[in-house]
Amino acid sequence: MTPLLAVDGLTVAFGAAARPLVAVDDLSLTVDAREIVGIVGESGSGKSVTAMALLGLIDFPGRVSARRMTFDGHDLRHITAGRRRTLVGKDLAMIFQDPLASLDPCYTVAYQLMEALAVHGTPAQRASRRVRRARALELLRQVEIPDPETRLLAFPHQLSGGMAQRVMIAMAIACQPRLLIADEPTTALDVTVQAQVLDLLIRLQREQGMALILITHDLAVVAETAQRVVVMYAGQQVETGPVPEIFAAPRHPYTQALMAALPENNAGRARLRAIPGVVPGAYGRPSGCLLSPRCAYAVPRCHAEQPPLAGPPGRQARCFFPLAEDGRPTGTWARERAEAVEGAAGPGAAA
Amino acid sequence: MTAASPPALLEARGLARHYAVSRGLFRGKAVVRALDGVSFTLGAGRTLAVVGESGCGKSTLARQVTMIEIPTAGSLLLDGDDVAHADAAARKRLRPRVQMVFQNPYASLNPRKTVGALLEEPLAIRGEPAAARREAALAMLARVGLRPEQYGRFPHMFSGGQRQRIAVARALMLHPRLVVLDEPVSALDVSIQAQVLNLLMDLQQALGIAYLFISHNLQVVRHIADDVLVMYLGRAVEYGGKAAVFARPAHPYTRALLASTPSLQPALRRARVPLAGELPSPLDPPAGCPFHPRCPFVVDRCKVEVPPLRPFRGVTVACHRAEEI
Repeated sequence: MTPLLAVDGLTVAFGAAARPLVAVDDLSLTVDAREIVGIVGESGSGKSVTAMALLGLIDFPGRVSARRMTFDGHDLRHITAGRRRTLVGKDLAMIFQDPLASLDPCYTVAYQLMEALAVHGTPAQRASRRVRRARALELLRQVEIPDPETRLLAFPHQLSGGMAQRVMIAMAIACQPRLLIADEPTTALDVTVQAQVLDLLIRLQREQGMALILITHDLAVVAETAQRVVVMYAGQQVETGPVPEIFAAPRHPYTQALMAALPENNAGRARLRAIPGVVPGAYGRPSGCLLSPRCAYAVPRCHAEQPPLAGPPGRQARCFFPLAEDGRPTGTWARERAEAVEGAAGPGAAA
Repeated sequence: MTAASPPALLEARGLARHYAVSRGLFRGKAVVRALDGVSFTLGAGRTLAVVGESGCGKSTLARQVTMIEIPTAGSLLLDGDDVAHADAAARKRLRPRVQMVFQNPYASLNPRKTVGALLEEPLAIRGEPAAARREAALAMLARVGLRPEQYGRFPHMFSGGQRQRIAVARALMLHPRLVVLDEPVSALDVSIQAQVLNLLMDLQQALGIAYLFISHNLQVVRHIADDVLVMYLGRAVEYGGKAAVFARPAHPYTRALLASTPSLQPALRRARVPLAGELPSPLDPPAGCPFHPRCPFVVDRCKVEVPPLRPFRGVTVACHRAEEI
């Protein structure tokens, strides 16, 4: 079966060609129909740029290239703008992080919902205002907005954050998309509302049989909702795999360190196991593995060469010495580290 | 209640802050009870976490404790001095004892001042000589893990985690007894969050400062707090030691908060308490228990009678049915 979305070698760069700022570097991703895939990473890791590239929202100074980028049989690299407009918003929809900033403050909820239906809806919906209105009401019920008749006439500023996010979801699912991309859909919300919105997204995903890409910085959200996960760091995909496996035994040191830094994994400890240093900026990227300055296991080779994404299909890690089940690096790591230490603890010696 | 055998550094009794809100030309003013009778004690060198959803009064509490506003009712004792009824001169004298760190380090540092100037400002107001100010600022930079050459740099040259370190350093310049931390790590990435939390805990150990830690992240609270105060619509609904509150939350709202917090081990998480709806408008709070419209255990009594805070299983809780659930 061909996947619903297949991306291979997606690269997004900004700035001058001589000194490009690579926001997303060689990302590969497949999403099957009815699947929930999580993309996790810290700020600046390229999560949102990936989503925008998929929707064709990267404008001129930005450059998008890929070896393959297909959605439902359409090649997204060479699609005309008109063709893309029939796809985006209908089969391919997106929810953004800040719901109140993504709704137009000048129009009512009803107007904005019906606008999507007037452009992308069924022939009956496009023809009749009455049908569109009925569908808008039905959508508000589906996203569990209390008192939907009154809310139809509300302006965005009259809605709470959670309510506005529900309206955004209603708009995104208005035309029953095959793939929904949710970019940090719950980050601006309180925990209790976050739980409600996540439950709602999962219920809709099941009922409508759509695929869902969930972009978040919160590992726990991915652990609870997604089936597969892509971990990103500084624009690169560092690890990919099924959720239970990644959380039980991460193969990339970054995934391991990120999980170890969470307070819930430090019960009984006085100090959290923090990752030293910061995510490298766009122009301050190290020459070797991007994690090498912060990695507990780095040896000289890590500082010199960029590791490729390796491992069996569907369970890959971008590391020379992927971690074993016991959480220790494998391969020739022990030998190379011993050699580095013997080499009079040179400047690149493991910390 | 809590293990506060030494005299409390901060003690609030029935603290309240009401705001009058205009509702237009032809209607009377409405009263928002942003903070409505909150009591707690905080011992020196300890951490009290205040948790709750947005709109529950956490930040209003911070504004009273930092003496930015004068409480409407109740008393607030800082080291035995009543802050709530102090005159302007006394408040000025008391203010250096309490400092604050804000949520967003991108907004809380003046972009036109160097780090050195930011740190030295409180000392300059106190009239200390320049050489002593500089020395104190450099010592504080080292203390929060920044380098001396960063003294002359501007905030935009720092990452989020470093900026929050600067904000913490600035708060500590006057050697306060109490620091109010308003969501100090929620704007930071996970890997940086751990660094800043470690720094805060190290500083507390070394300097014996008390923290009033405002947060909505229960995982973070569980790590850093000694005592926990759960607030809902301006009232305390549960207050007690961290271990007791997390092990057996007595109030349905605390339970719901815990159950809503995502976890890496979803299987270990408590069964999700269905919590419908959102925080009601503080302009028009529900009668009876403020939580009753969203509570899964609601009975008729909850709709008419406000539950008082009472001792229960080692914590204090405001719920009529704490024994049954």
